[in-house]
Amino acid sequence: MTFKKSKETTKQSISVGFFVESNKTRLHLTSLTGEIGYNKELRDKNVHRPQLVLAGYVQLFRFDRVQIFGNTEMRYLEQCTPEYRENALRTIFQFDVPCVVVTNNNPVDEMFVRIATERGVPVLQTPFETTKCIYFLSDFLDDQFSPQSVVHGSFVDVYGVGLLLIGRSGIGKSEIALDLVERGHRLVADDVVMITRKGEGILMGSGTDLVKHFMEIRGLGLIDVRSMFGIRAIRFQKRVELVIELMEWRPDQEYTRTGLDDEGIAILDVPLTRVELPIFPGKNVTVICEVIALNYLLKHYGYDAAKEFTKRLEAVITEKSKHIGERAIDYFEHDFE
Amino acid sequence: MTERHVTVRNRSGIHTRPAAVIVKTAARFKADFTIIKDDMEINGKSIIGVMTLAAEQGSTMILRFEGVDEEEAAEALVGLFERGFDE
Repeated sequence: MTFKKSKETTKQSISVGFFVESNKTRLHLTSLTGEIGYNKELRDKNVHRPQLVLAGYVQLFRFDRVQIFGNTEMRYLEQCTPEYRENALRTIFQFDVPCVVVTNNNPVDEMFVRIATERGVPVLQTPFETTKCIYFLSDFLDDQFSPQSVVHGSFVDVYGVGLLLIGRSGIGKSEIALDLVERGHRLVADDVVMITRKGEGILMGSGTDLVKHFMEIRGLGLIDVRSMFGIRAIRFQKRVELVIELMEWRPDQEYTRTGLDDEGIAILDVPLTRVELPIFPGKNVTVICEVIALNYLLKHYGYDAAKEFTKRLEAVITEKSKHIGERAIDYFEHDFE
Repeated sequence: MTERHVTVRNRSGIHTRPAAVIVKTAARFKADFTIIKDDMEINGKSIIGVMTLAAEQGSTMILRFEGVDEEEAAEALVGLFERGFDE
């Protein structure tokens, strides 16, 4: 197998500044404390609602997470006497909190901002309600802290199936990807595919920011698929569903003839279907790639051609009066064309 | 497996031309060639891959070779880095 396990990386931390910047448009996140604490590091992918911490119960307080102040927290602080409120805020900000997010655009009073500023903690505000905000932030943080791997291959969306072509340098991955694009499929990334594990068992693939939809064709040089074929020929990310490994045809090697035994491959510990595709001059690999994608779709919708054929064959074998070799003609027998 | 640490010496870093020189040199050898920089690990025989590193002057990276002619490949590539890609 030519596919080598590539390096798996997981971000250890992101800066609060990056966190704010990334959620500016999606969550309309604004800072009430300027750029104070933007260099603080976030190391946990979960969020936390302080709740009882405000009442003084600090055991089990996960202060290292993003602290979400929803209606409960803000109303609680509102109804406290000023002394009590100051005490509650000092209790929470004695810890090294990375940042605070106030939801529902709840008003934040001067005392809150002052104490947070003193302790160098950014106070962020969003018009979104708490549940939505938590949903968005968890999704963002989960993505940021999920394991990533860079795979050398071409990644194309073929009929909605994420097809990852791998194989040794110069075997023709890019050429096949280009051919697929020509036939109306969409390129996600070429040569450098960033793969991220989302949730359990879902792999998302995309290109890098720098390269986007450029590709190298041997003998031609660099081309930009987006400007050449237009917006229909590209997409930014896609779930990885199938791996096609291209290899030189070797007469001494056995290849599957029925497709009954699926061989798998694991990327970031997620098992995927792998198809070994021997290539030789004159073989139309592009069409085969399309057929592999369609066959995958058929299986997905419950039809497995190899199994279906096996069933049919078994039925004929067990049948008493065998019609072996009978022509597949039903009622067109008088058709002389 | 042979591994070498190298530093980018030329002023403009690994831009398009040095990247092309790297992949062309690497393509002469049978050995698999991987470049590791920070968190990135890319195939050194792919020009898109090499350019993805966007390596500036002074950045360090590990060159990894695996295959029958890995020693010769390492010599050739390390020499290239030391000469600043003959720029």
